[in-house]
Amino acid sequence: MISSPISAKNLCVLRGDNQVLDNVSFTIDAGDIFALLGGNGAGKSTTLLTFLGLISPSSGQALINGVEVGADIQGARAQISYLPESANLYPHLSAYENLEYFLSLAHISRSPEEISLSLDEVKLAPEARKKPLSSYSKGMRQKVSISLAILRRSPLLLLDEPTSGLDPLAIDEFNIILKTLSNLGTTIFMVTHDVYGACEVAKRVGLLRQGKMTSMFQAREDQKISVDEVHQAFRQSQAS
Amino acid sequence: MLREMQREFNFAWKETALRSLIVVAFFLSAISLLAGALTINDQEDLALRLNTEIKSEQLQILKGKTDPGDIAYSLFHLTFDPPSELAFVAVGQRNELTWLHRVRLLALEGQIHETSDANPEILTLGHLDFSFFLSVLLPLLVIGLLFDIEAREHRDRRHELICSASRFGNRIFLIRAMVRSLLLAAAVTVPFIIAAINSNITLIQASSVIGLTLFQIVVWLALSQFITRRMREAATAGLSLISIWLVLTLLIPIIGKIFVEYRVPVPNGGSILLTQREAVNDAWDLPKTATMKPFTEAYPEWREYGDVGKPFEWKWYYAFQEMGDRTAKPIAQALYKGMRDRHEAMAWIALLSPSLLIERRLTALAGTDVLQHLRYIQCSRRFHAEMRHFYYPFLFHEKAMSESNLAEIPEFKPCAL
Repeated sequence: MISSPISAKNLCVLRGDNQVLDNVSFTIDAGDIFALLGGNGAGKSTTLLTFLGLISPSSGQALINGVEVGADIQGARAQISYLPESANLYPHLSAYENLEYFLSLAHISRSPEEISLSLDEVKLAPEARKKPLSSYSKGMRQKVSISLAILRRSPLLLLDEPTSGLDPLAIDEFNIILKTLSNLGTTIFMVTHDVYGACEVAKRVGLLRQGKMTSMFQAREDQKISVDEVHQAFRQSQAS
Repeated sequence: MLREMQREFNFAWKETALRSLIVVAFFLSAISLLAGALTINDQEDLALRLNTEIKSEQLQILKGKTDPGDIAYSLFHLTFDPPSELAFVAVGQRNELTWLHRVRLLALEGQIHETSDANPEILTLGHLDFSFFLSVLLPLLVIGLLFDIEAREHRDRRHELICSASRFGNRIFLIRAMVRSLLLAAAVTVPFIIAAINSNITLIQASSVIGLTLFQIVVWLALSQFITRRMREAATAGLSLISIWLVLTLLIPIIGKIFVEYRVPVPNGGSILLTQREAVNDAWDLPKTATMKPFTEAYPEWREYGDVGKPFEWKWYYAFQEMGDRTAKPIAQALYKGMRDRHEAMAWIALLSPSLLIERRLTALAGTDVLQHLRYIQCSRRFHAEMRHFYYPFLFHEKAMSESNLAEIPEFKPCAL
C-alpha cells in the first residue's frame, strides 16, 4: 500500500496549558494541493511546523510518506520545501546569492543555468536578479522563494500564508506557478487566511478552528471548490 | 562540517556590519598591543636614562673621594626590574607598583617604600594593553557579534526556513556562531602574531597568549549560545549578555578584591617607612651602645671593632641604618606575606571570572604580576646586602678606598625571571 505523502492522524499539540491542535486528521494525496484555512490562532502554522519537525506533537502523528516526522526529521526535511509567511530571504543578498545560500544549506548543488531557468519559470525580471532583495517588491521576493522550492525539486511543498501581502496580479502569477508544480507531481500543503485563493488552487480545503478541524471540502472533477460554501462555513465557524 | 563552515564564512563576509566589527576588533587589538609596547618602551627608556644619569653622577661623586662612609652616603644605584619580552602584552603591576628605585647604603625600607602607593588613576580606569583588551573588551565584541544571531532570524521570519532547509536543523546557528567567532579570533590574533614575530618571545609564550584568546572567545561563545537559545528577542538576549559581562568582568573581580582585602589585611608601605625612620631618628639620641650591641650580636665578626669613641662615626651611622631596617622588617615581611596571600586568594576568585583568570595568566606569563614585583624587591634587598658586605670592612677598619676599591663597588644586576 502506498502511503500518502502527507497525513495527520489525531494530531494534538499542547503549548503549556493551551491545546493548540486537537485531534487533527487529514491526508494529502500525491500531486494534490491542500489548503488549511483558519483565523488567527487557529493552529494553522503549528500544523505546518509539526510537519517540519520544529514542533513535537503531544499525541497523534504527523506523517511524511507514512513515516512519523519525529522518527526521522532529516528524512522528512529532505522531502520538503518550505516557504514561510512573507518569505523573508536575506535582503542584503541578490536573488542568485540567496538561492545559492539556501541550496547549499540543504546540500543541494545546482548550476547557474539551472538557477537562471528556475528564475525564468517564476518570471523574475533578469535585470533584477543580481540586485539585493532589499530593492524587491514582496511579489518579487515571493518569486525567489518559489524558485528555491523549484530548485530543491522536493516532492512536498509547504507554504505558510503564501499570498499574504501580494497584489492581485502577483497572486494570479503565484497561483499559476502552484498549479504548474502540482501538475508536475509536487504535493502542496498550504495554510492561509485567503478563502478565495485557497478555493482557486486547492483540490481540498480544510477548516481549522481553535485547533480542531471543523469542515473539509473536496473539489469535484473539473470543478473548483465553491468559494461561497467555504466562506459560509468559515464565517459560521468563526461566529460559533 | 568544513563545507558548512566555508558556506557560513562566505555568507558572513557579505554582511557589512560583521565586516565592520571585525575591522574594529583588528584595530582595537593592534592599538592595545601598541599601547602596551609604548608603555614598556617608555619604562625601558626611563630605566636606561636614569641608569646613564646615575652612572655619570657616580663618576662625579667618586672623583677624589676616599672616605667609604662619605662614598656610601653619596653614591646612588639604580635597581630595576627589566620587563620581559612579553611584558607589552600585559603591563600588569608594572603600572601600579614600583619597578625601579634609587638606593644607597642607608636604611633600605624607607627607600623601597617611599613610593609604594599604587597609582589611583590606573587602579580606577585600568590600563589599555592586550591583557585589558582580551579580558574586558573582547567579550563585548563576541556579544556584539552573536547576541542576535538567532533572534534576527526569528524577527525576520527566516528561522523556520533555515532550520528546515539545513540538515543540522537549528544547530546551524551554532555553526554560524563558531564561524563568526573564528573570524573574530583571526582579527584579534593576527596583530598579536605580527607583534610576536617582531619581538623575541618564544613559541610557547605566543601559543599561550593565543590559547587564552581562544579560551575567552569560546567562553563567551558558549554563554551567548546559552542565552540566545533561550531568548527570542535580540534586545533581551543582548541585555542579558551585557549583564553577565558586567558581573563576570567587573563585579566579581571588584567585589572579590574588596573581600580579599578585607579578609587579608596588610600593613601599608607608609607604616614601614615610619617605623624605620623613627628607629633611625631615635638612634641619634640613644647611647651608641644601644645600636652597636645588637648590631655586633648580628655581626659577631665586627664585635672587636664595635666601640664608637667619637661623636660621629660612619660605622655607627650605617649600623643604626641597618638596625632601623631590622626594626621595620616584621612589618615589611607581613606586607609581603599579605601581598602573596592576597594574590593566592584572588586565584580562587578568578575561577568565577574568566576575565580575571585571563588577566592573571597573562601577567604571570609576562612577569608583570605581584609575585614578580616581590621577586624584584627581593632582588633589590640582595643588592643592598651585597653593598653592606662590601662597605662594612672599609667602615669598620676605617680604611680609605683606593681607585681599585672604587672599581669593585657592586653594581646592580637584575635577577633572572
